[in-house]
Amino acid sequence: MKRTPYFYLVLFIAKLTRRLLLMLGRNATNFPGELAIWLCKSFIGRMPKPEKVVCITGTNGKTTVANLVEDVLDRTGADFYCNRNGSNVYSGVASLLISNSDWRGRPTKKLAVFELDERSSNLILPYMRPDLMLCTNIFRDSYKRNAHPEFILDFLNKYIPDGVPMILNADDMMCSGLKPGNPRTYFSIAKQPGDGGGSRNIVQDVPACPKCGGELEWDFRRYHHIGRAVCKECGFASPRAEYTVTELTGTDMQADVRGRTCRFPLANSAYINVYNSLAAIALLCELGLTPETIAGALGSIGISATRYMEEEANGRKAILHLAKGQNPVACSRAFENIRDYPGKKAVILFLDDFFDAQHTVENISWLYDADFEFLADQSVVQLIAAGTRHWDVYLRLLLAGVPAEKIDHMPNTDGAAEALRTEEPDSVFILYDVYTISLAEDTQRLVMERLKKEAAKNAD
Amino acid sequence: MRIEVLFPEYCSLFGDLFNVKYLQDCLPEAERIDVSLRDEPELKGEGLVYLGPMSERTQERVIKKLMPYRDRIRELIDSGTAFLLTGNAMEVLGSYIQCEDGSRIEGLGLLPVYAKRKMMRRHNSVFLGDWNGGEVTGFKSQFTMAWPMEGAKGLFTVKKGVGLNKKCPYEGLRVNNLFATYLQGPILPLNPCFAKSLLEAMGAPGVKLAFEEEAVEAYRARTADFHAKVR
Repeated sequence: MKRTPYFYLVLFIAKLTRRLLLMLGRNATNFPGELAIWLCKSFIGRMPKPEKVVCITGTNGKTTVANLVEDVLDRTGADFYCNRNGSNVYSGVASLLISNSDWRGRPTKKLAVFELDERSSNLILPYMRPDLMLCTNIFRDSYKRNAHPEFILDFLNKYIPDGVPMILNADDMMCSGLKPGNPRTYFSIAKQPGDGGGSRNIVQDVPACPKCGGELEWDFRRYHHIGRAVCKECGFASPRAEYTVTELTGTDMQADVRGRTCRFPLANSAYINVYNSLAAIALLCELGLTPETIAGALGSIGISATRYMEEEANGRKAILHLAKGQNPVACSRAFENIRDYPGKKAVILFLDDFFDAQHTVENISWLYDADFEFLADQSVVQLIAAGTRHWDVYLRLLLAGVPAEKIDHMPNTDGAAEALRTEEPDSVFILYDVYTISLAEDTQRLVMERLKKEAAKNAD
Repeated sequence: MRIEVLFPEYCSLFGDLFNVKYLQDCLPEAERIDVSLRDEPELKGEGLVYLGPMSERTQERVIKKLMPYRDRIRELIDSGTAFLLTGNAMEVLGSYIQCEDGSRIEGLGLLPVYAKRKMMRRHNSVFLGDWNGGEVTGFKSQFTMAWPMEGAKGLFTVKKGVGLNKKCPYEGLRVNNLFATYLQGPILPLNPCFAKSLLEAMGAPGVKLAFEEEAVEAYRARTADFHAKVR
């Protein structure tokens, strides 16, 4: 796109605004870009881009994958920038282009890694052609923003430019079908012990063959529609992957990387984290890093503490676990992780949408798409639902088969830690949304204090 | 008692199948029949026929699937069989859906309503309406707005939120024992009074709801929140 004098004026104003915001102690990760796009709709298109642009999108895991990619690039001394501390919508991307350019807009680094909100792709991708694009998966998400998966699939198919090389999840029949004409690379986790053919989840976003609507024969279905299948009628099948995890242990994984057997360390062996690590490895390999370099860097990287954090006192744990509100699949994954975690568990649920709780009545339909049934397991000894919609969560838990005597519920989130029966659980999970991290951290601190007191009492 | 669920593998986008699960919990002796889009509906005319919300492409497939059964469905509606249609399922039985490019998708023509679809303008809102002397709470998240045609009878009177369209004083449609509403998701566990009315229409009056006391408490708390927070 042509760079007119008006574009340079807008760039100058945006850069000046950024400087002012930084002087005022603000982070300036969103507003300068928003202002620039308001003044010049095609601003992103007119800005010069780095030599290589990588975009990471998908329903779940895109932030974790982007963080992993950025951490590895950081440790290997790559010259790049990313939107880790900024927004993944169009204004965040524009702000990043502004902050990583000189006064004429020329990029100061050679590589950019953008985490991209899939609903913002219509405002970004027509103006910025990626050199490599990764999609983690496509699932049902917020009903308000994302409607349904078919809508998101159509949306991405429309706005991802033709010809852009794609890195896709071979175990997701929707994701693997994205941009069918584009060059592509797949990642997959081979069938593991315990992978079955049945479905244990309420949400099934691929109920039949995505091509012809015929019945699918599943080799295995790991969770929701993640697995490998073939259509009985048209033969459409999950694609073969170039990056395949073949073996998993608690601390590392063996993978076939384009025909080579390699080992990579794992911060957490839950499937969602394995998929995230594998997606990051595939992307980094496609960027030219060797598996050995990636494995070396991954060894020193954990999961972001804002997504999962364990604290231990006298052999008992208080665990922060992100469970994105209004996202039934993300919450179902969290619930299943809790069920599968060893020992007896108590769970504190902060599931309310932070903003809706203050200003309106949250659309709680998503509670009925989330698999609360996993929490009806015998190993879950107490559930505490706290927040504005506590009665609704309580009812949902009862309908999931959780006995009433295991559930405490209250409107006030401050009372959650106090309601904990500390003598029973080996671990206490605190589930929270992205906007309630500080509440979760405060609660974790209170839980730790109570667990320590309990330990001291037992020692006496 | 039979509960025939049409195309559940496709027609449940917002936790809607829990309506059926809740009815099963209320009526443990009821027989649930799930009809896949690959199979043929039974439409026997007893109990309930349920159809939930679906994607836009699925809507066209469902209309095509049900078109040969149009007369049978009309017969069932006229004879008082209970139907529950949630989300955009109403549009399948409606007159037509007008798309953004001006094209029309013809519905079964059994309900006096047509819809206009705008894929880049998703409507999200919360809803409080009158029902049978009580109140119904619910949520809307949709690409369409609907316009009633001659002879249409509304289901819920709007108190807060949006009806069939932004100017319509009512939400949903009712024809005999057919209840059609754009309210999405688990409207039965969330609205005990409406669940009881539906059970009565199904031929099961006076049935105690599953977790009735808890469902009523949750409903009361939510309704109070609607009155306090929603303009």
